[in-house]
Amino acid sequence: MHKLSTKKAFIAYFAFGWLLLIVADRVDELRVYQGATIAVTTLAIASIILLTGYSGQVSLGQGAFLAVGAYAAALSQTYWQSPFWFTLLIAILVSAAFGFILAFAAGRMSGPYLAGTTLALAVGLPTLANQFSFLGGETGLVYDAGLPPERFGEEFTLYKWFFWIAAFVVLIAMFLLRNLLNSRFGRTWKALRANSTAASLCGVNVAQSKITAFTISAGVAGLAGALLGMVSIVAPSAFPLSLSFTIITGAILAGVTSLLGSMLGAVILVVIPEIADVIAHQLGDSEKITTNLPGFIVSVLLILTVLFSPNGPAEAMRKRKEQHAKH
Amino acid sequence: MISLRRKKSILAAVAVTSFALVASAVPANAEVGVSSTEIKLGTTVPMTGIAAPGYSKVAPAMKAYFEYINDNGGVYGRKINLVIKDDRYIPQEAINKTNELILKDKVFALVGQLGTANHLAVTSKVRIASRNIPSLFLNTGYSGFADVKKFKTSFMHFPTYVAEAKILSSYIKENFTGKKTCLLVQNDEFGADAEKGFATAGLTFDETVKYVSGTQSATTAQTWITRFAGAKCEVVVLFSVSSATAAALGVASAAGYKPQWILGSVGADSTTLKIALNNPQAQALLNGAIGVSFMPDALDTTDEYVKLFREVNTKYSPGVDFDTNVLVGMNAAMLTVQALRAAGQNPTRRSLIAAMESKGSTFASAAYGNLAVSRTSRAGFTGYWFGKFNLAGALIPLDAGRTVYTTDSATGPVTKASAKRAALPAKGIPTNS
Repeated sequence: MHKLSTKKAFIAYFAFGWLLLIVADRVDELRVYQGATIAVTTLAIASIILLTGYSGQVSLGQGAFLAVGAYAAALSQTYWQSPFWFTLLIAILVSAAFGFILAFAAGRMSGPYLAGTTLALAVGLPTLANQFSFLGGETGLVYDAGLPPERFGEEFTLYKWFFWIAAFVVLIAMFLLRNLLNSRFGRTWKALRANSTAASLCGVNVAQSKITAFTISAGVAGLAGALLGMVSIVAPSAFPLSLSFTIITGAILAGVTSLLGSMLGAVILVVIPEIADVIAHQLGDSEKITTNLPGFIVSVLLILTVLFSPNGPAEAMRKRKEQHAKH
Repeated sequence: MISLRRKKSILAAVAVTSFALVASAVPANAEVGVSSTEIKLGTTVPMTGIAAPGYSKVAPAMKAYFEYINDNGGVYGRKINLVIKDDRYIPQEAINKTNELILKDKVFALVGQLGTANHLAVTSKVRIASRNIPSLFLNTGYSGFADVKKFKTSFMHFPTYVAEAKILSSYIKENFTGKKTCLLVQNDEFGADAEKGFATAGLTFDETVKYVSGTQSATTAQTWITRFAGAKCEVVVLFSVSSATAAALGVASAAGYKPQWILGSVGADSTTLKIALNNPQAQALLNGAIGVSFMPDALDTTDEYVKLFREVNTKYSPGVDFDTNVLVGMNAAMLTVQALRAAGQNPTRRSLIAAMESKGSTFASAAYGNLAVSRTSRAGFTGYWFGKFNLAGALIPLDAGRTVYTTDSATGPVTKASAKRAALPAKGIPTNS
């Protein structure tokens, strides 16, 4: 498949960023808020795509890494008054270090055992906040990106500021990830996913490669967690088990092997509650329907995707294009 | 070269995007949520989840009272439309749903939300104060919300937990000195506020059990009761939410453990007790417990407010049992109507906040005493009376005169309140301005 050169990709990412800023300036605040949520979810899904789609390791507890990143960022801001941009770096480093330690265990496990371990982590980790008072209990910690600069004017809302930060950080992270996945690392991980024995015979250090993938994925998830903390809160309720499942669902809907598809997955996840809201309204605004319909729609989409397009719509479209080209 | 079909697709995409951009640039109304015919209000409450039994009745009760007002002319001719969102008693959900109310439903003001952690999360992230969005009659007693500097657009309904704990302490010290006294509290701001009040009043406990919000169940209650029984507690204060109080009373009853229960106002709710223990006669477990309240008892049909609210409940919420939750909801709704009227014929968010500050303390209400709201405070009610629960789950005043005690959230003494309750407006329809 034809791939853009790094220079052209940089221009494409830059142009897309400009387009986002122009659109954000013209849509209402709700769409801007949803845009910030899409940006954060995109990065979280990208961390799964890197881990599962490329290196073939399954994590059911990515929400735990998001929580580690968010708490690391909030703690550094609360107790050391770190500048916001520095807290994002702390989030990446601490969650990557956490992932690195876990990767040693992950290196010895695969399939359902690894999935089970990460799942247990997602269940247990957020509740630790209730055991240690410095983590802020159920209310959590204050984590703040601060108010937008005054020179942007009074019309520049807080959510637009969140969107700018989230979009800027996520675009940079996605560009770096794209380059990483197109590098030797990406090719090694692809080889690992396809057949680890064959990769090993070709000289790939399987354990080291898996640890590297796990560590980077955790770091990316940690950054997504810090951004999530900026948009919402840093508290146990922001990192429920369902968050991990939501991220995986987004990755499957997008296609676990497509980095750009992560954006599609995030858009679907944010748009579904809107669609559900409209349907629930048509059906009489029943509380049970309003609460349960988004989950039902996501589940149906998940089943349909797995049945008819297991590698995601982006991958299916790419294959169709290739077939057309052959004919 | 671009094919004709592709060209058409691109043109269609550009047209749709342009339309969306132009449509979204249409200017908003003069005041959000207020039209010539309607005032749109919003609330987030636990309609499902662990705190739903009991608490899920508060917002529908508000809606029922608003419908009663709408059928009687509304507020200066405008009907009140209350949008209810389910936050499942989860702070993250409260943020999401409040954002929906403000950005999507475009409500004029928030009213009657529940939960300390939820409102802290909302004020911190949705930043309703800096956006000048009023949040009226919070159903939480966290004393921090009285701070006008931090929460300039939030107004409390409940008295503070600090004040309640101080008033409870004075009763315990007067009546149970020398007895082993123990405490159950929630491990968050709700519990910390109560502990602050007990400490300020100089009351110490032989055993204190803290539970994490959301973990209350028959299983966890088994641990609490084992600890209380092990410490030979003779007096146990349950300063907990309804579901935790229900779990504690249910497990203690099954174990044959019978201390003198003293119940905080938040958790003494017979409806939750019946639902949580799946026993229609579970209210009998309250029998003999000492409780405090700032409102009349929901079963006291001689009270004019209770009588009116019961009639509204029967007509607008047929089939719903009238209890403390319904009473609290309707009281908040009646206060809201007065606040909207006080804000003028064409209310704005600023005029609503100004009206709350200048006239809030004069609003008629079922509570004993007036709201303590002013330009320098966002506090709610301040008075409590003591009672003993009977077999029917009704709180009967300990003294015939129903003495109301009051105090502040600092180090002030507990005194008898002198303020008298305002009479019910004719037919329960406020006419203030």
